[in-house]
Amino acid sequence: MAENGLENWEAQIRKGWLDVAILAALWKGRLYGLEIIRELESRSDLVLTEGTVYPLLARLRKDGLIEGKWEESDSGHPRRYYKLTAAGRSRAQALAKQSHEFLLKIDALIQPLLKEQMR
Amino acid sequence: MSDHIGQAQGQIDFYLAALRKQLAGLPAKDVEEILLELRGHIVERAAEGDSDQNRTSVEQILRQLGTPEQIGSLYRTDAMVAHARASLSPALIIRTTIRWATKTVLGFVAFLVGALGYALGASLIVCAILKPFFPENIGLWINPHGMVLGAQMPKPHGHELLGWWIIAYGLALGMAFIFGTTVFLRWMLRFVPRASPRVASIV
Repeated sequence: MAENGLENWEAQIRKGWLDVAILAALWKGRLYGLEIIRELESRSDLVLTEGTVYPLLARLRKDGLIEGKWEESDSGHPRRYYKLTAAGRSRAQALAKQSHEFLLKIDALIQPLLKEQMR
Repeated sequence: MSDHIGQAQGQIDFYLAALRKQLAGLPAKDVEEILLELRGHIVERAAEGDSDQNRTSVEQILRQLGTPEQIGSLYRTDAMVAHARASLSPALIIRTTIRWATKTVLGFVAFLVGALGYALGASLIVCAILKPFFPENIGLWINPHGMVLGAQMPKPHGHELLGWWIIAYGLALGMAFIFGTTVFLRWMLRFVPRASPRVASIV
């Protein structure tokens, strides 16, 4: 029961961070869906159900934060490459700044608990 | 070997067909693009790894992808909200608001305000329509206790102010209420929380 509560909470946390993470992944340049997923998988624990990243990409596209462009590839299937729009870039920066400040505060708040644990 | 590939192809087709069913109602072009994108994802995942032994099985890839229901419901919720936000149909807008009301407090408040607005608008229109049939019992009365508006049985005391004008006022005001409520709810729908992917499959 308590275990389940913790997992639920973790899922909520992940949910909230995923769009920030996607915008951050696209910061350096364009990527297609699977590349975004691989990037997030290697650098964060955010993605567990891969297919649900695609609806989120569609949503960000409709919000005008990213744009998609189909291109042929040598894999035999066309790929949809995503890149940040101007609005997406400024949103990504604003989110990064907010997240950073927020995480610093939370970190300061939980430090005592971590020290306790190490003893 | 070719048997193996054929079987994998069948699994992929089966999965995508189930997803296509889930996406019913979305624009055809969107559906095709979603399916094309996911097919590319599956095929490329399946080709990962350097030898046949190292390759991930299609089953495993599909499991990691999530169920067609999971993915489809995320696309559908977004499409429904986007559609309602661009629409002036009270039925569609209230349906979307109800869906939202089951999820957050703000959604519930929006639903209450919306229901009140529509009810008020509808009752004004009903008054206007009923006036010719019950001319004595529908109106706006003023008496020492205050004002009484609407359909009253028996007819209240006091002076009736509107007469036949209540038909014009009732219709105009009623429609204004319904239109205003629609515009309000449409505006509120921008606060529907982002349909975040279910990132963890909690069992």
